Amino acid sequence: MSAAGSIHPRERRLSLLVTVLAFALPVIFVLVPLAIFLVYSFFSVDQGTIVYTPTLGNYVRFFTDPIFLPVFWNTIVLCVSVAVICILLAYPAAYFLTTLKGRWRYALLMLLLVPLLMSYVIKIYAIRSILGLNGFLNKALVALGILQQPSNLFVFNMNAILLTLSLLLIPFAILPIFLSLERIPQTLLRASDDLGASGWQTFLRITLPLSLPGVASAASFVFVLAIGDFLTPQMVGGISGFTFGRILYSQFGTAYNWPFGAALSVALAIVVICAILVGERFGRNRGTSI
Amino acid sequence: MNALPRPSTIFLAAITALVAVLLYSPLFVPIVSSFFTISHGNVDWSSPTLATYVALAENHDILAALRTTLIVGVCTVILSVVSGTLLALYYHGRRSGRSFLQFIIFLPFLMPPIISGLALLIFFREIHLERSLLTVVIGHTVFVLAIVYRTVLMRLQSMSRTLVEASYDLGATGWQTFWRIILPNLSSAMVGGAILAFALSFDETMITILVTGTQSTLPVRLWAMMRLGFSPDINALVALILMFTVLLCVLAARFLIPRQMATERT
Repeated sequence: MSAAGSIHPRERRLSLLVTVLAFALPVIFVLVPLAIFLVYSFFSVDQGTIVYTPTLGNYVRFFTDPIFLPVFWNTIVLCVSVAVICILLAYPAAYFLTTLKGRWRYALLMLLLVPLLMSYVIKIYAIRSILGLNGFLNKALVALGILQQPSNLFVFNMNAILLTLSLLLIPFAILPIFLSLERIPQTLLRASDDLGASGWQTFLRITLPLSLPGVASAASFVFVLAIGDFLTPQMVGGISGFTFGRILYSQFGTAYNWPFGAALSVALAIVVICAILVGERFGRNRGTSI
Repeated sequence: MNALPRPSTIFLAAITALVAVLLYSPLFVPIVSSFFTISHGNVDWSSPTLATYVALAENHDILAALRTTLIVGVCTVILSVVSGTLLALYYHGRRSGRSFLQFIIFLPFLMPPIISGLALLIFFREIHLERSLLTVVIGHTVFVLAIVYRTVLMRLQSMSRTLVEASYDLGATGWQTFWRIILPNLSSAMVGGAILAFALSFDETMITILVTGTQSTLPVRLWAMMRLGFSPDINALVALILMFTVLLCVLAARFLIPRQMATERT
């Protein structure tokens, strides 16, 4: 675009406009809101109105109140578990995809990714009805003789959030693992085979280590998406399934304490940034470009 | 990767089948209930009916929400494709300041939607912008911009420089080169990005809940209804949306995948 020949005044005006836009857009609509948000976390609320005097009170409250830190920690553990479940299911599926040839491989990949684009709210609702007392899961478990009678174990508690989030987020784990498995050069596997390694040895020594970057990206994706979700816990968590996202959301609704909510968001953002950085650090592919 | 023995392949296939069943079971529930009556968790297979679809056509509340969603989606697509393409053109081949601004563009997509949504909520309040469909469109555009930007930028990077150089050699102006060479080459990436942006906007719930005014989009309307339980016609709506989404996916794949695989090969 900026190459020779651009002397037309109309072009120059346009390129000036584009330059202004290129800086203004991200700054005004992303950076400024986030900055204001951060500043808000140092304000406080008095009888329903926001007091614009800087204070560390919100952060002190977060660290000293006996409610918030345990919920924060439990939510992190919950989301790590979700990531682990997703990877345990997604890895074999992604591996299976790479054993398929040509068109089938991508058709099946597509099939496993399509549910991502389906209505999130409806999926939560459907999963809740599957997990519920009259739901399919209980019916199946009773029919198989594992349970004597339908159980309330799977809905309106932490288990329900764990299962629902895992179900919703599996596709986000499949894609990065698949991509990292697909990038492994076939020559490496053949060399390993030629040198007398068994299928298992090749998998453990070659395939698994080389696919770990994909696993790391998958884990960070799933974790970030899980920890930011406040709809799922609200819908399937009941009273006992209290997560950080729910507390945060309630600060902007019933509790009406925006500055404290902003401070909670900062805590959430820090965890998310750490997760993304860890994913970046270990998710980079090394040594596969042979 | 055919080195694995046969039992492992069967095991892997079984897990894959399980994953597929898990992923599709939540979609299966509303589709089945749109054609059959369900009471106490038992499906009455004997009497298929289209009554839910008829009821849907008369549910003005939901149809209005659907219309709102489509309006928001179209506005979001126009705004994000125009600005995303301009940003990609601007930052393509420019090093200074690119990585920082690119990072900012990606932030709303990487951050949990609750953070982007709340930041925008406070921002709108501070600039005294009343919550309305406009704020929803801004929220959606900020959210999907990264996708359009990245799709177009990737196409630009895979585009051969010689095309542009040839155009200049043949005496075309920068403007002509843009309209005749660059834009046509980008068009399929732009369409693909537009479809993705629309699909994301269509289902965006968490940011929308936070920045919406009195008019709600379909996911937010469904979210509000869900506490009380759905009327059966919602199942019909869901079944229709699923079909529509599958169609969108197939379209997006047509515009995005073949070209990229073709460029990888060369």
